[in-house]
Amino acid sequence: MTSLLNSPTKTSLNTSRRSFLKASALGSGGLMMTIAMPGCATLKNGGLSKIGNTERWDANAWLRIDSDNSIHFVLDRVEMGQNTYTGMATLVAEELEVDPESINVSFAAADSVYRNTVYGLQITGGSTSIVSSWEIVREAGAATRMMLIKAAANTWNISESDCIANKGVVINQAAGHPQNGQKISFGALAAIAATYSVPNDITLKDKADFKLIGKYNKRLDAVKKATGTAGYGIDTELPGMKYAVFSRAPRWDSELKSFDASKIENMPGIEQVFAVNKPSAIGVAIVAKSYWQAKKAQQLLSVEWGDSELTKVDNASIFAQYRKDMSQDSGKNVRSEGDIQAALSNAAQTVTTEYKMPFLAHATLEPQNCTAWATADGLEIWAPTQSPDMAQVAAAKASRYSLNDIKVNTTFIGGGFGRRINQDFVAEAAAIADHVQQPIKLIWSREEDTQRDWYRPSSLHKLTAAVDDSGNITGWNHQMAGSGVFDYFVGDAAPAQYPFMPKFMFGVLESAGKMGEGIIAPADGSIFEGANEIPYDFANINVDYKKSDSGILVGNWRSVGHSHTGFIVETFIEQLAQLPQVKAQKDAYQFRFDLLNKHPRAQAVLKKAAQEANWGTPLPGCTQGISIHKSFGTWVAQIADVEVDANASSDQQLKVKRVVCVVDCGQVVNPDTVVAQMEGGIIFALSAALYGDVTIKDGIAQQTNFHDYQLLRINQAPSIEVHIIESNEPPTGVGEPGVPPLAAAVANAVTAKTGQLFDSLPLKLG
Amino acid sequence: MIQLTVNGVEHSLDVEADTPLLWVVRDYLNLKGSKFGCGAGLCGACTMHLNGEPIRTCITPISTVAGQAITTIEGLGDQGSLSSVQQAWVELNVPQCGYCQSGQIMSATALLAKNAKPNDDDIDSAMSGNICRCGTYPRIKAAIHSVASSNATSNDDLFTNIMADQKPSVMEEK
Repeated sequence: MTSLLNSPTKTSLNTSRRSFLKASALGSGGLMMTIAMPGCATLKNGGLSKIGNTERWDANAWLRIDSDNSIHFVLDRVEMGQNTYTGMATLVAEELEVDPESINVSFAAADSVYRNTVYGLQITGGSTSIVSSWEIVREAGAATRMMLIKAAANTWNISESDCIANKGVVINQAAGHPQNGQKISFGALAAIAATYSVPNDITLKDKADFKLIGKYNKRLDAVKKATGTAGYGIDTELPGMKYAVFSRAPRWDSELKSFDASKIENMPGIEQVFAVNKPSAIGVAIVAKSYWQAKKAQQLLSVEWGDSELTKVDNASIFAQYRKDMSQDSGKNVRSEGDIQAALSNAAQTVTTEYKMPFLAHATLEPQNCTAWATADGLEIWAPTQSPDMAQVAAAKASRYSLNDIKVNTTFIGGGFGRRINQDFVAEAAAIADHVQQPIKLIWSREEDTQRDWYRPSSLHKLTAAVDDSGNITGWNHQMAGSGVFDYFVGDAAPAQYPFMPKFMFGVLESAGKMGEGIIAPADGSIFEGANEIPYDFANINVDYKKSDSGILVGNWRSVGHSHTGFIVETFIEQLAQLPQVKAQKDAYQFRFDLLNKHPRAQAVLKKAAQEANWGTPLPGCTQGISIHKSFGTWVAQIADVEVDANASSDQQLKVKRVVCVVDCGQVVNPDTVVAQMEGGIIFALSAALYGDVTIKDGIAQQTNFHDYQLLRINQAPSIEVHIIESNEPPTGVGEPGVPPLAAAVANAVTAKTGQLFDSLPLKLG
Repeated sequence: MIQLTVNGVEHSLDVEADTPLLWVVRDYLNLKGSKFGCGAGLCGACTMHLNGEPIRTCITPISTVAGQAITTIEGLGDQGSLSSVQQAWVELNVPQCGYCQSGQIMSATALLAKNAKPNDDDIDSAMSGNICRCGTYPRIKAAIHSVASSNATSNDDLFTNIMADQKPSVMEEK
């Protein structure tokens, strides 16, 4: 999952774990376990929601056992490829003693039974770590199993210790008992179990007893996705549904002045053309019987837009602004150890590089879309969104409906990567549906999706290292400037913390959220995370971040700040490793390994990568580059074997033949998912390393579709080998950590061949 | 009225002649497995077969395929059973977000129908029109090789297998 802000940190629980679980009976004779599961670092868990010392924490997972023996696990998470669902089902199944395939995994609370159970659940205190999420889901499974066993024991009038659960039944093992060896199914026990409270002492299995965790390798949604039957947002179909397209200003800050629909009003299928002026939804909507009719008409729509602050903004002006802001004020100190000024002035030599990182588009293969149905009773939304609660706020702001009248259904997601944390597509659909009072499906074109993205922020970095006579690195100074992503989603995120607040308070909550960044909400690390946490053992370290807003829309992009700091830190380290006095003593691998002396897990990952890739013996025609980065709690080292062909066409000069990847993400739940996420992260990152560059001219992104915003294709994909470090540590992230080290591994391989040092992306031979 | 045969079923449709085949199949015939990705024939998410050949249906006006036979992802396999290509996709856990996979499977199926034992270069050239943003390419390649090695050795046999797969069903509603 994409983190919104910094990686989560574990905080102590104010209440017992049991407060996260609640059991209730269903009218149909079933058992419902309601689970309040901490998220992967969401604002919800930041200080924002602690105002007044009370936290409203809605449950977000439900485990239901019906009398017909069916088992349902419902999550308010979304599945966008990361295989959370299989992972979570595996955790439940391990303790519940069922086959993961017997669990019906489904999306959020579309069924009112969940809503009713959830409503009013209020918990004080809380924590936000993956660690407790991994424990709580298993605890839910274990508690349910214990309650089912208790129900069976009471039925047979035997001791609970004489019962065991296995494959969805409880078996009577009481020696000499008349029903010895008999079984009762979970479904038959559910109604009795539902009368018990959640047990006080829940003991989880020891690792040695795991049957599934660390072993189970299936993907529960694979059949649906191989048969075209997984329902994505764009596949939503409602009775009488119309199709909408939406013309936005080329620059997001322009107002709509006027439009002329005279050429399109009488075109076939066109039903309504109207202006929309709502937060996050400014433009002209065309509603038609079919998508193609709306799309064709859109090309003939003429719109006059107001002025924009961005008309003179381009890449050059943006980086000039970053440079100016950074030179005037170093900004916020985000890491300080020792005395960097002394280290720099006492250095025998200093090394400085300025890095320019580009804007990047998410390019989810499913374009943004949203289906909405407004009636007198309320507004219902079907959206491929990563943040259903923020979608609800966005819909409320863009329509006449209040939060209580808006229901958001989620769907399978055709790639998220952080794009769908911003809810503009939901706001637009809500506004359009509110106007027409009919079901509509809004679909963005690829061009709209590329040009109106919330990009990975561009940023400027200046790194300086102090080096002594013997080639020791005595100081590391990193200054940087760029927009923070927090400002661009807090407007929907802050009100989502307070679902009981009336709409007129949203503006106040947004302002409070912005002011509270770093104080009552986690600091926005979207530029500096990964840079402030460099693991290398230098005596003097200083890292400063100067916020400098480019005015271009920015957002979370797979691995967020790590997406650029992984490259910057690991290419600058490479530059230092290439200093003659350093190179004379050790190679780039050993240089890193020695400096990681305080991080044994990092050293183990790096060492394994060197072994598996035959470090020092590249593939024929290749050179090797090495890189390591920690993000979301997970260490990843990668070694790239790259063939450099200076005579090839400009986009074919760097051929990445193989990437060896070693990952330590603690205890693995589904090993094949870890491998898949590393493979995917590497290819995602390689697209960016070789091609990723959204350039701004006159305030407008110049890229439109896959011909000028290239993504890696199968013929360019390297072979990938993933090795997982066996670990007993709690699990950490896997969806994003494969991304950060890759660009540097490739760049460093090219440096090994040509000597060229890289200070920008995408990588271009000099 | 435009006549069209999709997955063996004949349809007569009142639709504007320039409407792309993709939108006709998705929104008039309600077969949602084929996806919209780029609208410009650049990503392959919309791939269907026209007389067995893979085509980009987001840029194919319906009038140009009138009267011809179209196969979509829904037309693979046989009554609830997976085709051998789909089977390989499931066994190797190919999909991540899954959005591109209908198109990938259609391209792979067409490749294997013509070339029972494609090498890596054959796969690259047949599959490079299909983008996967999640980066499942290594598994797509492995899945195609897996079908090639487990299936019949001759093109004819393979074609028969793919078009009328009689393998036991593993399709279960999850």
